Amino acid sequence: MTSPVVDTVNLVKIYQDGGVPVPAVRGVDLRVEPGEFVAVMGPSGSGKSTLVHMLGGLEARTSGEIWLDGRRVDTLSESAWALLRRQKIGFVFQFFNLVANMTVADNVELPALLAGASAREARERREHLLGELGLTARADAAPSQLAGGEQQRVALARALANTPSLLLADEPTGNLDSRNTRDVLRLLGQVHRDGQTVILVTHDARVAGLADRVVSLLDGQIVDDGAVGAARRRPRGTAGDVVELRG
Amino acid sequence: MSTVRASARWIRADLRARRAQAALTVLTVAGIVTALITSATLLEDGTNPWRGLFAQTSGAHVWIHTRDAPDPAALSRLPGVVQVAGPYRTAPATLATGGKKSPVALREMPTRLPPVAAPLVREGRWLREGDADGVVVERSFARTLGLEVGGPFTVTALNGATHPLIVVGLADTADQGFYPEWTPGLAWTPASVLARVEPAPGRSEAVTGLRLADGEDTLPAVHGAVTLLDEQIQRMSTWREVRASMELDNRLLGLLLALFGGAGLVAAALAIANAVGGRVLTQTRDIATLKSLGYTRGQVFAVLMAEHGALGLLGIVIGLVCGQVAAAVALDGVPIPPLSPAPLLAIAGGTAAVVLVVVALPAWHGSRTPPIPAAPASPPKGHLSRMARLALLARLPHALVLGTRDAFTRRVPALLGVFGLAVPMMMITIGLGCWATLDDFLRHPEKVGQAAALTVRPGELSPGETLRITRADPQVLAVYPGSEVPVLEPEQTRSVLARAVGTSAQPYPFAVVEGRMFAGRGEAVAGQGLLDLLGVEIGDRVRMTVGGTPLIVHIVGRVVEPDQDGEVLSLGMDSLAAKDTVPPQFYSLVLRPGADPDAVRARLLAASDEALEVSRVVNPAERLAVIRVVIVALTVVLALIGLTNLLTASALSLRDHAFDLAVLKAMGLTPRQVVATLVTGTGLPAVLGVLVGTLAGASLAAGLIDLQGRTSGMGAGIGRTPSALTLAAAVLTAVGVALLVALLPARRAARSRIQVTVR
Repeated sequence: MTSPVVDTVNLVKIYQDGGVPVPAVRGVDLRVEPGEFVAVMGPSGSGKSTLVHMLGGLEARTSGEIWLDGRRVDTLSESAWALLRRQKIGFVFQFFNLVANMTVADNVELPALLAGASAREARERREHLLGELGLTARADAAPSQLAGGEQQRVALARALANTPSLLLADEPTGNLDSRNTRDVLRLLGQVHRDGQTVILVTHDARVAGLADRVVSLLDGQIVDDGAVGAARRRPRGTAGDVVELRG
Repeated sequence: MSTVRASARWIRADLRARRAQAALTVLTVAGIVTALITSATLLEDGTNPWRGLFAQTSGAHVWIHTRDAPDPAALSRLPGVVQVAGPYRTAPATLATGGKKSPVALREMPTRLPPVAAPLVREGRWLREGDADGVVVERSFARTLGLEVGGPFTVTALNGATHPLIVVGLADTADQGFYPEWTPGLAWTPASVLARVEPAPGRSEAVTGLRLADGEDTLPAVHGAVTLLDEQIQRMSTWREVRASMELDNRLLGLLLALFGGAGLVAAALAIANAVGGRVLTQTRDIATLKSLGYTRGQVFAVLMAEHGALGLLGIVIGLVCGQVAAAVALDGVPIPPLSPAPLLAIAGGTAAVVLVVVALPAWHGSRTPPIPAAPASPPKGHLSRMARLALLARLPHALVLGTRDAFTRRVPALLGVFGLAVPMMMITIGLGCWATLDDFLRHPEKVGQAAALTVRPGELSPGETLRITRADPQVLAVYPGSEVPVLEPEQTRSVLARAVGTSAQPYPFAVVEGRMFAGRGEAVAGQGLLDLLGVEIGDRVRMTVGGTPLIVHIVGRVVEPDQDGEVLSLGMDSLAAKDTVPPQFYSLVLRPGADPDAVRARLLAASDEALEVSRVVNPAERLAVIRVVIVALTVVLALIGLTNLLTASALSLRDHAFDLAVLKAMGLTPRQVVATLVTGTGLPAVLGVLVGTLAGASLAAGLIDLQGRTSGMGAGIGRTPSALTLAAAVLTAVGVALLVALLPARRAARSRIQVTVR
């Protein structure tokens, strides 16, 4: 029996706004098995971004436990979290967040170099990833020269550079048009099929439909946690194939 | 260690993206280091030229004057002696030039320069075979007497015979100190010429120089020489005495330099802190991204330190090189030996420490960036202040009001911006104050106690004759007889100069800045240096001794005293005993305003048939001319620092407000109004900084210079504030440049198409 990739126990986050406590996440128990694709849905302010930020250690939890790959991590220091992110967690953000001064190639190589890979290893991995994502030709371009969809694909390549055990995507399509959304979703589906565990935050039901399981948050609490049935998954798989054909 | 490669990539990419800014940072640091090194080198060399001369001439550490020529082989066997210069035969003579008779030592020298203690020819040429009456004159001697290459050098030997010689060259030497501190003056001639001028060997002496392995340890050689030569020795001198006589009063320069260098360093530190802080602020999102990728706080700190610290260190290295080069070419191409290691290390180490500290602060700040890249780094939302609302009500242009509000939304950067310009501007103003003070010295010498432009020594003329001749000149306003005697201070351990000029009834116009002028017998005024030395105050009575006779004086005032570190007692002739004042040693001549001292000097010489000795009084400003070079150099560096600050402020302001541009345009502001808003936002703190700096500098300048005057013994009361016109010009230039720097990027930003996107 393998341990879950993510397991949270009564996770709580309370912000302080001028002395007034504002709860963002209120007692979330979430368990994600290896290879699962979980979509976290909810309206604005429901705490979904806060939740994934806590899962990636970008924000400290107020109370509760976070277990990652069977190890308790909520008690880690900021630096230990940083080391953990290098090895195990890939992030994709809504606004791509590529380092503006670095080329596409450098952006993708950065995590590998950070994790201690040699320059050659990092280059080979980058070439492989960019090849997979169809960006080989843009390796030397600056991020600002790329279209939004391309930038997000580069961000995805960067997030996957260290083959993380968990990919966290915070509204990865929130800033893209429908065509680029399709491209990015197709890629996400592809890495998921290759066994990648993905947690995706979205407020778009169509995007969430790609996942195995949809967790709905409202006011910081899980109001619905439904594994999507196999019957519903098949047509979506077909839709994915259609998208792939069109792409 | 694993992050080194990743960090190197990041740094490389960042530097490539902001080459100009990085270059400016390097230049600023290099400029400060260059200025510090140049000034320190000039200071070290200007105030102690001995070191350079000694090295260049490979001088001798010990000079022995003997009656007969000693055996150089025996001397070279003395402990510690490496080489021997000479012995050279030297004869005393009198040089008559321009109405003045000066003692001179004529020294024979071979036409081929010796390896040790070879005079350094600065003008003209060295002696040649067959120079029948050529002579090379020591340069300070020549300068004081106005001797030039090709000019006459008429010497009178002890036997009374006069020999017209010709100056063929001027040379520097470390054999003896500068004239007139060290007399007699020195001139080198071929042996044949010396033999003709002074044929009697008994009236000449032999001079031998010893170069030692260790200059610090002169005693064994000196003792050895005394034992060896015994009664032959007339006198001896060591390099320490020569050096001491070459040292000028370096305190004024030293303090000025420390002030400028220190404040320049502070200003540079501010500029770098500003630049790095601004850069970190603009990179907040990228830093957050790095953290989300797995950079720890410490690693972000290390990366920022490495990048910005390296720029600073590069600047220091470039500055070290430039400093050496600049110092080498600063003084009319004369190669100057490099700065000694101690100040060099202090400058490099001090600057490096300052750079690292000021980089560490913003780097630490950057390392604390939260790792959520989406968090926008926008300025805090401000409200229209009551001021702004009032301004709008008063119908001031909207662009001005909006810009003013923008300027101070971020308090700390706004304050840094103001200070970043205020500090360099203050230093520049103080520099202008020093300049004005020097100008004032030259324009109003009477305010620094030099009312008399000429000093006349009667020579062979009687006092009455001298007074008649000097008073007859139409440009001479007043003639004050004077005498100078050494007096022992109350504890009788050292003597100071008592200068009696004029009488109590008709005192010389000393520059009294405190108390009053002496008005009766037994009253005197003193320089600050003397007051400090004796620990007395105005109103005190002091008992001194003149040649065994007690002299009790009542100090009634303080004068500005540029000579002898201010350790001078000035009083009336009638306060001294007659034996010291009759006949007067000299006459101080106060000229009419606008009179040319040189013309008067020439007329007096002609009228007295060259019997009078007439010399010009040296203004302290002439000795301090090197300060002006320092001021100009530092002003350039300070301007560079101000520019760095301006560019940082301009970049930050644009970054903060670029996204407001769309809103402003949507609100209906014309492009011109948008530009005005941006320029006001950047320019207002700059203008404020310039004004604050100028005001602070103007109010501090006189006080600081007076403080310096006080510590140097000259006394307070010399400081001048730069003229209103100079200040206005400086302010206008600075404000103009500031607005221009703000205007150019603002225009570009206002014209460019604005993307309305979230950051």
